[in-house]
Amino acid sequence: MINSLRAALVCAAAAAVFAPTVWVQASPQQPQATTAAQAAPAQGRGGQGRGRGPQDPTPRLADGTVNFGRVPGEKGTYSVPYITNMADRVVTGPGSTSLVPELQAAVDARAAARGRAGGGGARGGGGGGGRGGSKSEPWMPFMPWSAAVYDYNSRNESKFDPEGYCLPPGGPRMMATPYQMEIIQLPEHKRILMIFEGATHIWREIYMDGREFPKGDQLNPTYLGYSIGRWQDKDTLVVENKGFNENSWLDYFGHPHTDLMEVTERWTRPSKQTLHYEATVNDRGAYTRPFTIAWDIPFNATGELPEYICQENNQYLNRLTDDLGQPIFGPRPQPGVKPGRGTR
Amino acid sequence: MGAVASAFRRKMLTAVMVLALPALTFAQFGHPLKGQWSGEWGPKDNASRLLLDIHWDGKELSGRINPGTPTEGAFKKVTIDYSPVTSWKVQIEGEVKDGGKVVPVRVDGTLENIGAYYRVLHGTWTQGGRKGEFTVTRN
Repeated sequence: MINSLRAALVCAAAAAVFAPTVWVQASPQQPQATTAAQAAPAQGRGGQGRGRGPQDPTPRLADGTVNFGRVPGEKGTYSVPYITNMADRVVTGPGSTSLVPELQAAVDARAAARGRAGGGGARGGGGGGGRGGSKSEPWMPFMPWSAAVYDYNSRNESKFDPEGYCLPPGGPRMMATPYQMEIIQLPEHKRILMIFEGATHIWREIYMDGREFPKGDQLNPTYLGYSIGRWQDKDTLVVENKGFNENSWLDYFGHPHTDLMEVTERWTRPSKQTLHYEATVNDRGAYTRPFTIAWDIPFNATGELPEYICQENNQYLNRLTDDLGQPIFGPRPQPGVKPGRGTR
Repeated sequence: MGAVASAFRRKMLTAVMVLALPALTFAQFGHPLKGQWSGEWGPKDNASRLLLDIHWDGKELSGRINPGTPTEGAFKKVTIDYSPVTSWKVQIEGEVKDGGKVVPVRVDGTLENIGAYYRVLHGTWTQGGRKGEFTVTRN
């Protein structure tokens, strides 16, 4: 009885969510990743370099720690860059801004091939693997299965990207989905809130009260994980994250992760114009050793959070088929029935 | 008439979207073999139900076959050939209870639809002296 009631409520809620999205008259919309791809040129390859021109001093809170948000009386949001491939941003370790040598060599080789100067360190990354799959990213510590999944996602141009279906990004991908983001520090509440315009209009909470991670089943796996922050010094915020579910990819290119993933983030704000973001990904379920990625996130001093709702009228989804040629929104295969052959 | 057809289409589309929701909500993109799988093996007119519960701990895949039933068993070894990018070859060796005895099981399967929620593992299931085709779909 309770199950029936729950099922009815779920269906009603789902209908309430979906019905308006199906019938709202709006221009056809691509999944978020595709939309982001289109937006990327206008925003430039965000995260490539710190703002040119005069750099204002790092804003600070009353206790001297970094103010990652707006200065009182002013506007401002972060313009999160569009980073489609995390492997292009792998640095030599925590605190470093130097790309791993193999990646730097790949960046230099590509730049040389284009006939212009290359390089650029962590701030200039981008130019690593392309869509060559795992073999084109020898610096990534893939396990055999994660390499194979990555190759599969490369082969089909990321058609199963969960963010393309308007599902939230997980882990560092939140900081690589190209929409506005605002950080609100509440030291009196010992919390930090992050509001993301994109990434399906979500927020994230970082606990600054010295708590420990929930134990066992109390750590409920979620898209964004469970975040606990602490100040390393007055310049660097360290955020430990655990408890991710497996419903997301690390990036648009399709680097997989598991629910064993743990992420250590380090945030600094070297100037008012720039947040430097670094994340060490330790996923013993998918990668043989931890790796660290880093990029800059520019602050838009006149920015405010507009509304972006990924779910609206996403006609693109209705055209997608899985590897067996079945509509992804269609009926599931029947047990005992051999799968048919469809589009690949 | 057009209005009625349009309303009907709306209702059907909404129903489809509602039915599709759980697949999106519970999508899983970790190790593609991880999870619960159900299907059957053997001749169509006398097929045996199958339930596989597969776990990945970062080092090895472990699995239970028909847990909680008289034919329950477990994996002993899993081997995967990842080289066919869109159709991995999966070999599983294990044991199940069959007619009161413990008998070996060998599975020679192909994993397809790897990126989709409803991925499929199918191939040949050999249990004791019997052999037949099998198909399981990720639940």
